[in-house]
Parts: sequence; structure tokens; C-alpha cells
Amino acid sequence: MKKKKSLPGTVYIIVCFLFLYLPIFVTMFFSFNSSKSLTKFTGFSLRWYQELFADAEIMSAVSVSITIALLSTLISTVLGTATAIGLSKNKKVIKELIININNIPIMNPDIVTAIGLMILFSSLKIEKGYMTMLLAHISFCTPYVITSVYPKVRALNPNLANAAMDLGATPWQALYKVIIPMIKDGIFAGVLLAFTMSFDDFVISYFVTGNGVKNISIIVYNMTKRTNPTINALSTIVILVIMILLIIANVVPAVMKRRKKQAIIRHEQTDQGTSA
Amino acid sequence: MKYYIKMVRPYMVWSFLMVVIPMVLIAIYSVTTGGNTLVNIQFTLENFAKFAEPIYVQVFLKSLRIGLITVGICLILGYVLAYNICRFEERIQSSLILLVTIPMWINTLLRTYAWISILSDNGIINTALQALGFDPVTMMYTDFAVIIGMVSDFLPFMVIPIHTSLNKIDKSLIEAAEDLGATPFQTFTKVIFKLSIPGVLNGVIVTFLLSISTFVIPKLLGGGQYTLIGNLIENQFISVGNWNFGSALSLILTVVILAAITLMRRLDQEEKEEDL
Amino acid sequence: MKKKLLAVLAALGLTILALTGCGNSSKATLKVYNAGEYIDTSLLTQFEKEYDCKVVYETFDSNESMYTKILSGESYDVLIPSDYMIERLIKEDYLQKIDWDKIPNSVNLNQDVMGQDFDPDNEYSVPYFYGTVGILYDTTVVDEEDLADGWELLRNTKYAGDIYMYDSERDSFMIALKALGYSMNTDNTDEIDEAYEWLIEQRDLMSPIYAGDDVIDNMVSGNKSIAIVYSGDAAYIMSENEDLEYYQPDEGTNEWFDCMVIMKDSEQVDLAHEFINFMLDVENATANTAEVGYTSPVTEAYETMISEDYAGISSYAPDMSNPLDECFRYQTSEIKQYFADLWTKVKAY
Repeated sequence: MKKKKSLPGTVYIIVCFLFLYLPIFVTMFFSFNSSKSLTKFTGFSLRWYQELFADAEIMSAVSVSITIALLSTLISTVLGTATAIGLSKNKKVIKELIININNIPIMNPDIVTAIGLMILFSSLKIEKGYMTMLLAHISFCTPYVITSVYPKVRALNPNLANAAMDLGATPWQALYKVIIPMIKDGIFAGVLLAFTMSFDDFVISYFVTGNGVKNISIIVYNMTKRTNPTINALSTIVILVIMILLIIANVVPAVMKRRKKQAIIRHEQTDQGTSA
Repeated sequence: MKYYIKMVRPYMVWSFLMVVIPMVLIAIYSVTTGGNTLVNIQFTLENFAKFAEPIYVQVFLKSLRIGLITVGICLILGYVLAYNICRFEERIQSSLILLVTIPMWINTLLRTYAWISILSDNGIINTALQALGFDPVTMMYTDFAVIIGMVSDFLPFMVIPIHTSLNKIDKSLIEAAEDLGATPFQTFTKVIFKLSIPGVLNGVIVTFLLSISTFVIPKLLGGGQYTLIGNLIENQFISVGNWNFGSALSLILTVVILAAITLMRRLDQEEKEEDL
Repeated sequence: MKKKLLAVLAALGLTILALTGCGNSSKATLKVYNAGEYIDTSLLTQFEKEYDCKVVYETFDSNESMYTKILSGESYDVLIPSDYMIERLIKEDYLQKIDWDKIPNSVNLNQDVMGQDFDPDNEYSVPYFYGTVGILYDTTVVDEEDLADGWELLRNTKYAGDIYMYDSERDSFMIALKALGYSMNTDNTDEIDEAYEWLIEQRDLMSPIYAGDDVIDNMVSGNKSIAIVYSGDAAYIMSENEDLEYYQPDEGTNEWFDCMVIMKDSEQVDLAHEFINFMLDVENATANTAEVGYTSPVTEAYETMISEDYAGISSYAPDMSNPLDECFRYQTSEIKQYFADLWTKVKAY
């Protein structure tokens, strides 16, 4: 693509981001409200933050949401990437079969996947809880990884891995050193999608969980009766943490680069100094 | 790459257990009666026949209409956004894409509540309008509210695949087109847009799936009278308790979606063959 | 790369172990399943301390989704469903009989709330909260005289576009059937069809919003002037918005009772009884009703509320004396499906 920034383009991006972030700003704003209302701001207060940290139920839901999202992302990324790589070289029949099966969880309404899994777990007499939620999340995240990675694998030159192996690499090395780096954009997209789907899921989690294991969405859903700004406080914290991580991820490398540059310049200057 | 063929095996087993079997269970429900107990089941096609009643066809058509409008808006907004993001340098691009993803990490339910406080009769927009001396506008419980909610929720799913495709386009192709005297408009339609079609298709498919099967957003922003196919399915499973009809509805939805996707993919392939 | 991955995996594995492993102590565990936002949660912690046990507390958003979950094989010790669902659970043999000797605090119960048709001798159920369904209206908009029309107020075109109905087929059909003078538990399809016509006409005349629990926030902010609500929700809304008043039409309404029941396969029968007893303790019941806003069946708690926390809020003390009032009863699945299909036709247009 061309690298030509334009002012209207930048303005457009800002407007779109305002649209995407408007509900989030509103959520954050009302987390500082002194009353329970989500439409009228009655005064600044931190009471919802106090309630948030005092609420053991919400705190355990946070850890369930995060660990489930991390684990299911990790497992589904490995599973999905392996499948996508293997898929491209399989017989057409198997390829189509897997791709079609893979489409099922993506295009089924959540509620159907949820009911299907619920019936499955019940008929197998698996006790519902953390494990069933994790299994369910892996099963609906993996298809997203496969759909993100597979096009990248298909675009690869099939001779690459062979060439690497001709040069003495083991299949494992060829996979790690050649194929994975070439498809890493697809994997990254898959990771993001999987994490997002898992972190945000409500319907499936709701039906496959049990024994009091709850994620954030389930807590929010049960709060719908009386809107409760503690959950707004939680989202504000989530947003801030993500923002801080982003800043660190972007600023730190930039600062390091500059330091390095300055060090080189200084080095050159001292070199010049000595030579002069 | 034949070494990697076996890598699909774990997922084949997994998807058989976690995707195929639940679907088979649902299929069994859809062609039986006898409620939720599997003791006295009987074969029937009544559940499918029931769908032919005008009211259900109407609901289905409405879902299609709302879904297509949402996809259309997402496509236009998302394409322009992805296109403009691509004009930035690589490092800023990945930050911008992350910024597109972040809203998805904040609970959908919560963002939908935020839209309620923005759009409701005494909400933020109307308070602002009244402060400026305008008449308040009813936005909640209308098509407008539902579509706004869906677009803001699904837009990232459109932007990300389009951005991936656009980003992949070889700069030299664009330069070549320009060197050959193509106008910017021609360059866009003949080169850039054509090459980004895989991403567009991906985005269209995902947003279409999400918008046709959602039930939380229409329920909260459209009110109970806003019945889409997703709500109908959810109702059958949760409030009515007719799992058989619910299963039939979800199978019908699955088939329609499958047909739509196959059609889109085929169109894409024909186009590619034409190019050759 | 590989090593890093392994390290991450190991770390995650440990986290899971830590998360799932702990809490497996030898303490007795009581599983309670209740509607969302329907308890003062500090009572749970207090109960855990007093009885040295662990309470696994889960919530549902409707009786039907609770039933779906039970049907899927999930089991609990104590459930808190509504009347008609309790009747269904009794019929389908999900519940065990209450041993009243183990509940000494039952003396605190208001006897008027006991012995309802769904469980005439309270063999299976212990009252938790009760109330009615009524019309919540804005006194600054709605003319007092129009209230004389009873449920027909909902078809008074003066208030077209200014109404929240409740998105529940049973409650909506209850209104229509009562307005027409029928029993809300009818299984006569002619009467049901007539009620359906009533609702269709109302829909076309008034274009109401069929709202769910969002009605609470909407009414607190005064978005519309008439809403169908449960008396307990009305008590909360009225305590937040002074312009509102609660009204029960003379044609009769739904009287509902949410009760504590014990599931048949409960492994903690004694602890379950202790829990029920604990919730009937005057002090605990007072804390609970003050927090939730629903009417307590514990007489002393009720009296404290009407003279203190909810003084002057009529819906906290709903009128239960109208002989035309009824309680929802068990429906056969055919009738249930019949209602559901008609309700879809009312809503989806």
C-alpha cells in the first residue's frame, strides 16, 4: 500500500474511533457517579471502586475470565495453527470436510453452540465448572484461529519448507524457522480474535458453567436487573490496564531506539574527537 | 510440506467430539417430539412445518434485512477506516489496529448498556439536544438504535480482515498501475479493491453471521417487540422450553447461512478464474 | 521460542491448579440457586461463618432459564423459584419435602402468605418474597380519573407511545385475560384467542415497548409514564423517583410467591434447612428485604420496613385482598406452546 497520509483520512480515523469508544467513555464516566443511575450524573465519587475491590464475587470472576481467555487462546492457537498448516497439504476431501466442520461453530448462533455443548456435557455426565467452560471456549475459539491462519498458509510457497529441509533442517526446525515466521501475522490475528471472543463470551459460558464458576459477562448479565456501576469501575480498570500496556509496548522500544541512536552519535562524536 | 499432514489429526478428533456430536444432538431434537426427555421421543417434521407460518418467515426476513443493512454500513465505514489506517507507517498501523480491537475486550453487554444511556429518551444525546433548544428525539427501541448498537459492536470484525488484505498488497502493483496511466480512481477499483476482496469477504461473512444471530443487542436496544431470528431461538430454548422447535429453527438458520457463504465464496472464485 | 512457550504453559498450568485446587477443603458445601440481585449477599458470608461451610451461590435471570439448567442435569441444594415453577418442580419430582421441625424460625412467618394453591400445605416450599403485578404510573402525567378504567388504562390512547409492557407472555396475557374478566390460568383457547386480540389491538393503538428489566432504569429516569412492574421493583423505583405511584386494577392481578425449596438429590439436607431457617431470622430477613425492596413474608421484618425504609411506598405493602387476584399455576406444555406462539405474533411485527 501507498504510504501517503492525508488530513481527511486522519480525521476520519478519529471520528470512527470516537464512535467505537463512545460507549466505553460513557461506561468509564459513570463509574465515577455517586448514584446508581447510568443516565444522570449526580456527582463525583469513588464508591464503586471501593465496592469493586470489596466484592469477592467480582474479583473471582475477573480471574476466571482472564485465565480462561489466556488458556483457551493459547491452546486454540496451537491447535488451530497446527491444523491450518496440516490442512493445506491434505487431500481435498479431508480439507473440505474440516473446513466445513470448522465453519459450524463460527456460523452457529452462540445459543445453539451453547445448547449443543450443554447437552453434550450433561449426557457425558461431566461435572460443569471451570473445565467445561475452558473446553467450550477452546472449541469456539479454534475455528477463528484456523480461519485467520489458513489463508496465510495457503499463500505460502509450498517449496519453502522443502527447501529448508533440503538444506538439512528437520521438519520441526523448518516449521519453527521458516513456516511460522511467514504466517505470524495470521497467527497474531487469530490470537487477538480468540482472546476477544473468549473474554467477551456470555451465552456459551452461561450454559456450560456450573458449581458457581462465573466469568465477568455472567456477573454483568445477572446485574441487569439493577444496573450496578461497580462493573463500570471494573471496565474502566480493564481499559486503563490495556492502555498502559499499549503505551509501554510502543514507547519503550522507541525510547530504546533513541538511546541507541544517541549512544551511536555520542560514540561517533568521541571518535571524531579522538581523531581530530 | 507433507510432513505436516498429521497435524490435523488432533483437531479432527476434537471437532468430532465438540462440534459434530453436539450438532447431531441438535439435529435429533429438531426431528423429534417429546419435549426434553429422551425417553418417549417420536419422529416428526412438524417443527419444520411450523416455520412456514407467516410470522416466522416475517421474523426471518426482518433479520435478513437488519443484518444486511448492518453489514453494508460496517463495510463502508470499515473499508474506509482500514484504508486510511494502511496509509500510516507499520508501527503506528499495528497500534491503530490494536485500538480497533480493544473495544471488543469490554463486555458487549456493558457497551450495549452504555448505548442505552446515550440514546434513551432522557439520555445523553437528548439532554444535549434540549440544552441546545432542540426537541428531543426518540431513538431507543427503533431500528436506528439496534443498528447503531450492532455496527459499533461488529465494526472491528470488518476492519481487521480488510486491513490484513490491504496491508498485503504489493506496493509495486499500485505504482505499476499509476505508471501505466491509471487515474487514482481506476487504481483503486481495478487494483486495490480487487486485491482486498478476500478480506472484504471475510469481514462481510463474519459481520453477517454475528448480526443475523445476535439476540442480546436487539433485546436491549430494540425492546421485546424487536424479535429477530436469534431472539426467536433463544426464546424457544429458554422461556418456552420447546427445544425441538428451537433446534429446527437453528438448523434452518445454519443451512441458510451455509448457503449464503458458499455462494459468496463461489462468486469470489469465479472472479479469480476470470482474472486468469 | 520453544522454551518460552513451555514456560508460559507451565505458568498457566500452575495458575489453573491454584485456581481450581484451592477451596477443595473438607468443609460442607451448600449450593444455592436464586434470581439475580435478589439477596443481600453479605448474608451469604455471614451464613458461611456461622455454620463453618461454603456457599456456592449462582443466579438465574428467569424461572425458565433456571428450569433449563436443572433439566440439563445441574443439581443444587436450595432453589428460590416462583409459584408456578415450584408446582412444576413438585409435579416432575425434583423437590423433597421440607422438615418444618428443623426450621424453628418458621414462627416468624406471616400465615397469610402460607398455604397457596401451588403447594397448599407448604409441604415443599418456604416463602422468601411475595407481591403482585401492577401499573406504575407518573402522577404528573396520568390523570387519576383514568385509573378507574383498570387495565383498560393500557389502551387509553391519551397515553399512546408512553407505555412499557412487560416482555413476558404470562404477565401480558394475564393483563388481557383479567381485563376481559377471565381467569389468567384458563386453558380455554377461545378465551386465550380473545385475549390475544386484546393484546393485538393494544399494540396497534398504543405501540407500547415490551421491555425487560431495563424498565427499572427507564422508569427511574422517567422516560415514559406508565409501566407494568412487579411490586418489589416498583418499591425500588418509587424510592428513587418520587413522582411515581403504584396501582392494582380492581379486575384482579397476579399474586406471586417466590419460595425456598430443597432439591430431591441434595446432599446437604440439614445444612439446606439451616439456610432456610437462617433466612427467616428476623434480623436477616430485615437486612434482606431492605436491600432488595421486595415484600418480606417475615412479619417483623415487614413491619420494620413499612414504618422505616419503605414508609409511604405503597407497593411495598401490596394489596392482596382482592378475590379476583390469582396465582399462576402449572401449564401443560401444549397450552404453554399455544401462549408462546401467540405471544411471538404479538411482539414480532
